[in-house]
Amino acid sequence: MRQRLLGALVLGALALGSCRTKTEAPPGTLVVVKELQASWIRNFNPFSVAGGNRWPTNCGIYEPLLIYNSLSGEFEPWLAASFDWEVPGERLVFALREGVQWSDGEAFTADDVVFTFQLLEDTKALDVHNLAARMDAVSARDDHTVVIELSEPFVPGLAWIGHQTIVPEHIWSEVDDPVIHTNPDPVGTGPFTEVLRFETQVYDIGRNPHYWNPEAAKGIERLRMPALPSNEAANLALIHGEIDWTGTFIPAVDRVFVERDPEHHHYWFPLVGSTIFLYANTAAPPFDDPNLRRAVSMAIDRELIVRIAMHNTTVPAHPTGLTDAHKAWRDPTAAAKGTWVTHDPAAAAELLDAAGWTLDAKGQRRNAAGEPLIAELQVVTGWSDWVRAAQIITADLRALGIDASVKSRDFGAWMEGLNRGTFSLSLGWAQEGPTPYNPYQGLMSAEATKPVGETAPANWHRFGSEEVDVLLRAFEGTTDPELQRAIISRLQHIFVDEAPAIPLFPSPSWGQYNSARFDGFPSADDPYALLSPHKAPESLLVLSSIYAKDAPTSENTP
Amino acid sequence: MISTLRASAGFLLRRLGFYGLAGFVALTLNFLIPRLMPGDPATVMFARFQGELEPEAIDALREAFGLTDAPMWEQYLQYLTALSQGDLGLSVAYFPAPVTEVIGVALLWTVLLAGVAVVLAFGLGSGLGALAAWRRNGLLDQIAPPLLSFLGAFPYFWLAMAAAWIFGFQLGWFPLRHAYDAGLDPGLTWAFVSSVISHAVLPAGTMVLAALGGWLLAMRNTMVGVLGEDFITYAQARGLPSRRVWLHYAVRNAMMPNLTGFGMALGFVLSGALLTEIVFAYPGQGYLLINAVLAQDYPLMQGLFLTITIAVLGANWLVDCMTVVLDPRTRT
Repeated sequence: MRQRLLGALVLGALALGSCRTKTEAPPGTLVVVKELQASWIRNFNPFSVAGGNRWPTNCGIYEPLLIYNSLSGEFEPWLAASFDWEVPGERLVFALREGVQWSDGEAFTADDVVFTFQLLEDTKALDVHNLAARMDAVSARDDHTVVIELSEPFVPGLAWIGHQTIVPEHIWSEVDDPVIHTNPDPVGTGPFTEVLRFETQVYDIGRNPHYWNPEAAKGIERLRMPALPSNEAANLALIHGEIDWTGTFIPAVDRVFVERDPEHHHYWFPLVGSTIFLYANTAAPPFDDPNLRRAVSMAIDRELIVRIAMHNTTVPAHPTGLTDAHKAWRDPTAAAKGTWVTHDPAAAAELLDAAGWTLDAKGQRRNAAGEPLIAELQVVTGWSDWVRAAQIITADLRALGIDASVKSRDFGAWMEGLNRGTFSLSLGWAQEGPTPYNPYQGLMSAEATKPVGETAPANWHRFGSEEVDVLLRAFEGTTDPELQRAIISRLQHIFVDEAPAIPLFPSPSWGQYNSARFDGFPSADDPYALLSPHKAPESLLVLSSIYAKDAPTSENTP
Repeated sequence: MISTLRASAGFLLRRLGFYGLAGFVALTLNFLIPRLMPGDPATVMFARFQGELEPEAIDALREAFGLTDAPMWEQYLQYLTALSQGDLGLSVAYFPAPVTEVIGVALLWTVLLAGVAVVLAFGLGSGLGALAAWRRNGLLDQIAPPLLSFLGAFPYFWLAMAAAWIFGFQLGWFPLRHAYDAGLDPGLTWAFVSSVISHAVLPAGTMVLAALGGWLLAMRNTMVGVLGEDFITYAQARGLPSRRVWLHYAVRNAMMPNLTGFGMALGFVLSGALLTEIVFAYPGQGYLLINAVLAQDYPLMQGLFLTITIAVLGANWLVDCMTVVLDPRTRT
């Protein structure tokens, strides 16, 4: 009886399943996968930075004043048509774009901008860039001019102020508690604002009927976000042709992805992510000795790491630690001095000998006191690229007689070790930002340095230089490109002279697209913006330029 | 009769009291264990942005998440007070969604998928085991136990991945992911229900397949023991129909250990389908749990562990109730 029932069930299920083909989205529906989630929570609050809001919140619904383009290195005008430092570093003036409307038809004015920054000043929980401490006053000079006064010169603050998404005063002044408001029906200035449907597994965002740039996203009626919980699930859907735009990690991307449909399957991994560093704890022996850090650096075969751990998607790091995002800032004279970033085991051995760590009879390096040279390299459990890189590094170090081992820890425990400075060697990233100011601040600022045992969210390796702080202060106060360049050059020299951290490779910025139904995506041949959807609000640049190939208004498509 | 009723009620009440105590201990552990992990939600959240945020963001995050430096006992009291009012707090990973909302969405799908799978596996496995023992050395007895044990030896998520690859990706017979087709509106329509069923075939099927062997072997082995008892021989000697001997004498007695196991399995439904759900992108609770642990989302972890605790204790109490019905000895 039971068996017969089972048979009927299986047959029925087979009949149901067999008539099924791959799910094809309706025309004009751009399928985007950016967040890996198993189910969607309806949250379009642009202030919840903690990953709580859905991706289109800051890449479609709300817009900032400026958008930094990490490929051109420039700020592109957005809700602000232009900006000007009236007093360098202290008074910033934005001329707002005319004719912009909120998606409910209300006009966008300087009052909205003033309201947004006032909201940040009043609500500490929303102010993730600590603008309140840096801004003195925000005011509207007229309907389309906003003046921001800073309490002390802070030119790098332009990135945080320019990237702040602006919310409508007429809506948000009614919100009781902006921190826990989930903003289910958002009103924004962006190209896609209308929540057409929202379900656990999928949601659609439709076009803003009042968008200021009617040329944006031609023929794209809606963005569709399917919930996919893992890289594997996303990759499977991408290979199947069910995703139009995403940024996932695919091992052997040419073979797995491109070869299945070379005409439509494309990827572009520009090297503009953070540089991955090998951090040596400079607050404790033995790595308080810069020569030891240089020796470790020269022992590492970065070519091998790039090939084995990173599938040739990146290159060995630049001696200054600067990625391609800061290519224009690189100083060749500093780079020439950074010989300790090239693979040279013989020179590494000499450095170790000179530093007093000599080989004993068993091939183990010991100092004069007879202590062995031990290095424990910490990585995050399950981050397979890092684990493989760490294995290569420790093998290289063991070949030099250093007792090196890999210790993989859970993310939270690993982070805690870095923050408190209770590690010997660890892999890690650096601060990102529009200029090298941001990474170098985290890498070398004495002010960012905390004693071992105290929590330091950056400068985990605890290297502080007073000179760097003076240079950073000077950088914060100048808008003079010549002076900025001179300061960054000096910082690069300090970096290669002191070896505060060991650069390994720049992180690729993952981006894939399928050109079967949509085109106009950025690529290596047309690098107008970052392809990867992971960097809000830069993806607005992409959303504005892509178009549907089968657009109903075909006379306009290029 | 009345005294038996009173005895049964007393037994069930005693069990209920015990579960209440166990539940309280579990609640306390739910509070303690997440907080013993290194790090806190704000630093973990900050670190997840890998250098995109300024260090100052940590203070803003702590403020938003309502993290305090209040002593542990004070936080514990707050937690108990909020819990007694049914307030599980706001999730950190899905901030600012309330935990009840986050869990509510996922709970239903997990109960549906894993619940159906466990009931099917238990029913089929026990049924096949009972049959195999009754017709000992028959065709079923020779093929099913080794075959199903072999399949059961694979980790269930491995079976899930293999099934996803073969039936979902290569053959395209079943959908690869999700609980229903993206284009459908949820509702009691044939299109929606059939979509839900076809989406559940692979994930539920692999879970059933992986668990079947265990149920079958347990049932078969207990049955073999029970069938050797004197009362079976006596029943047969009395000339009772063999179907009645099988069902009322053998199966009913052999069921008891399996039933306890069923209670446990039912309780672990909420946590057990974790990897299957991830393989098939099923919108259930498994992914939430992983995400909550990774993000050190204390409120969400507490909420999820609470549902699991309640499910385990509740299922065990249900089994106790069934035992009272099935086993007369508990009534005296």
